[in-house]
Amino acid sequence: MLKISIIKRELPLHIIIPLRITIAVIGLLISIVTASLIFNQDPGTTITFLVNSFLDLNIFRYISVFLPTALGLSIAYSAGLWNLGAEGQIVVGAMGATFIALFTPLGTIEYVGVIASLLFAFAMGAIWAIAAIVLKVYFGINEALTTLMMNYIAYYLVDYLVYGPWRGRGVYGYPETDMIPIQCRLQRVAGYSFSLYPLFTSLLLTILVFLFLYRTRIGISIRALSSSFRAVELSGISSTKLAILAFMLSGALAGFAGGTEVLVYHRKLVPGAKIGAGMGYTSIMVAWLSSLNPVAVPLSAYYVSSLYIFSLAIQIGSINVGDAIARAVIGTIFLLTIVSEFIARYRIILRFRG
Amino acid sequence: MSNVIRVVEISKRFGDIIALDNISLNISSGEIVAVLGENGSGKSTLAKILYGLYTPDRGYIEVNGKQQVFLSPADAKKYGIVMVSQRPQLIDELTVLENISLFLNKPLNKIYNDINIFLQEFNIRINIASPIHTLSYTERQYIEMAKALLARPRLLIVDEATTYLPQSMKIKFFEMMKRIVATNGSIIFITHKIPEALEFSTRIIVLRRGRIVGEFDSNNISLDELRRVMFGETAIIQTTKQAQDIPIIKDAILKINNVLVEDEYGKKAVENVSLDVKQGEIVGVVGIAGNGQRELCETIIGLRKVKKGQILFEGRDITHIPPNKRIAIGLYYIPEDPFRDGVFLNLTVAENIKIFSQRKIERKAFQDIISKLNIIPANPGVKVHKLSGGNVQKVVLSRIFINIPKVIVAYNPTRMLDEYSSRLVASTLTKFASLGGSVLLFSEDLDEALAMGNRIAVMSRGKVIGIYNYTAINRSELEKVMVAYA
Ligand SMILES: Nc1ncnc2c1ncn2[C@@H]1O[C@H](COP(=O)(O)OP(=O)(O)OP(=O)(O)O)[C@@H](O)[C@H]1O
Ligand SMILES: [Mg+2]
Repeated sequence: MLKISIIKRELPLHIIIPLRITIAVIGLLISIVTASLIFNQDPGTTITFLVNSFLDLNIFRYISVFLPTALGLSIAYSAGLWNLGAEGQIVVGAMGATFIALFTPLGTIEYVGVIASLLFAFAMGAIWAIAAIVLKVYFGINEALTTLMMNYIAYYLVDYLVYGPWRGRGVYGYPETDMIPIQCRLQRVAGYSFSLYPLFTSLLLTILVFLFLYRTRIGISIRALSSSFRAVELSGISSTKLAILAFMLSGALAGFAGGTEVLVYHRKLVPGAKIGAGMGYTSIMVAWLSSLNPVAVPLSAYYVSSLYIFSLAIQIGSINVGDAIARAVIGTIFLLTIVSEFIARYRIILRFRG
Repeated sequence: MSNVIRVVEISKRFGDIIALDNISLNISSGEIVAVLGENGSGKSTLAKILYGLYTPDRGYIEVNGKQQVFLSPADAKKYGIVMVSQRPQLIDELTVLENISLFLNKPLNKIYNDINIFLQEFNIRINIASPIHTLSYTERQYIEMAKALLARPRLLIVDEATTYLPQSMKIKFFEMMKRIVATNGSIIFITHKIPEALEFSTRIIVLRRGRIVGEFDSNNISLDELRRVMFGETAIIQTTKQAQDIPIIKDAILKINNVLVEDEYGKKAVENVSLDVKQGEIVGVVGIAGNGQRELCETIIGLRKVKKGQILFEGRDITHIPPNKRIAIGLYYIPEDPFRDGVFLNLTVAENIKIFSQRKIERKAFQDIISKLNIIPANPGVKVHKLSGGNVQKVVLSRIFINIPKVIVAYNPTRMLDEYSSRLVASTLTKFASLGGSVLLFSEDLDEALAMGNRIAVMSRGKVIGIYNYTAINRSELEKVMVAYA
């Protein structure tokens, strides 16, 4: 009889990191080769695509969204709170930024316009998140459900605006606003669709979030919340306020990501589903992939962004496997990444018994 | 002798902590082996290896001359090895009955009667249909004990689960232990109560920093000698001095007026309780676990709603303010369940201390508090879930050392602590009171309550059935009161 036991183990960090990277790379190769063989492709070509995806500078366009959003989510998840509403928070953040840029006089003032738009994007994201957490702490309504539903409300709200009152005068009937003033646009890197400013800001935020969660009493208590609301109360800190704060920060960072999307990428408001484009959901994965460690979020944002590009690359061009297969391949890769995490944490013992 | 379980040259390390270092031990049938040792000396680790919860890094276990590898408690159970753990290992959402049924792997209806008969024999009044999460820590320990004994073990390992058994139950339990050894079983008995070890075991081994530093025949060793082996030359803090009488004129700082509290099911858990604590006074609250003590102290601290009545702190009505605000005004709580309410297991010692400190705390202060409380390993960066039971309790207690409380509500504050640390805590609390602080001491250990309390209140079925001056009552009288109304 075969007997399998799984025993928890703890490896030192200098072993875990190379181990996980190795397993992730092996996983990538296995899934690529299998997929290529099944679809009669030359594995070499596919691997070239993959490598190129990891080197493609366009990944920064996605990192710009994933990094701040996942950073925010890691705050909420560290507190044991389920914010599944990053998608909606991105969308209302974009809406907030557009509002300042397009409909207030601030939008035409250099620097001020950008800063005001982004601050308002922060605020909108935070407000959107607060609604859900208030329902949770005061009425016990599950935050996972409310945040999820608020994503749709955000979509419809923005759709209403771009089809209705905010629809631009010069857009020939398209559901979008006019372009935001030039003063409010952030400069892109030549030839690419991302800007360095939000990226640097996000990196700075990464450090701030880390210091907050690991060095300040309030931040540490937010992490403590996941093990016990009661024990937090007994330390003299209001667990209610902490939960609200964690959610607020989480929403604010997603809102910021949405704001930069308007200021850098779209430069106008478009329908909700086009702004979020599912990136709010993907960010959930980015957050968990980093094991909720803020410092690891940039790395996991990079990894996921590269795969995002890869999945786009194999849908078109010489390989052209189509959307469904691309997703299946990406899914497999993520599965293997999770397996790598499992292997890093547990030891598996196999024994045969007579 | 037949039926020998041998522990052969076992070592176990966790990172750079060596929990067990080359331990060898034979346990013959008919033996009761007491394992003594200070907090963090490796007692639970040894027990967990025998029970298959940990696998040794080196060495092995031999049962009846055959080498065995236990990868899980299920493996150990096949050989009749059963453990009552230091921290109850029950599934919170399931009922008492379901938990025991799962453990014994027998259908509910088959064991229903057995369990009830067993609990009756021990005079334990717990409804076996109630979910575990509604029970107090000590009650959960009773259930652990019941489930282990019902499994008819060949080797029973009891990891510090006898400390809070009332005298009558303790006697029953030791009778059961004798019955097990009389039928060729054996017992490993981990405790911090040295006199109990002397009285009930046949052999005593002493662990210190993961090594066996002494092995004695229980009839040929004195208490003092054992202490010396356990703690080395560390001076034991002298027994705390008896409490003083509090002048009547002093005002009550904490007043509980006619409080009624309901449990999770709307049943009365605390009924018409009135109690007050004066400045400089220690009031002990005793009773058999599960008579409303937990509900009462959780109400005082704000974790439970008051249905009727009032709680006053320095004359101010605090009946409806949340726990965090009560802490802020100086009402501190040492929780009844240290693991669930007292610490954050996934955070480090330093992070725990930081959260529980009301004032800003300096880096150096961490080291101070760690050495003051003798937390082992003395590393502020270690996660609390890696600490031994007693050391976890020390982290819980740190809050009264780093803050400036006015009133301390403490539930079994010396739970899991070794003798040395217990005395440190007892002397800290008595000193705190002598300086004008007040303590409401819920204790399931009558000796502790009597040694420290100025007055002793007895709880039974949710009511305070008597309040006595410490000079006016002794241990056996208290016990009678506790049981008479139960
Ligand atoms: N899972 C673990 N991970 C890391 N270290 C551990 C773990 N379990 C125990 N240790 C360490 O091993 C040592 C022995 O712990 P153990 O729990 O066996 O002590 P103990 O004698 O039972 O103490 P106590 O009287 O406090 O219960 C301690 O230093 C403890 O920190
Ligand atoms: Mg222990």
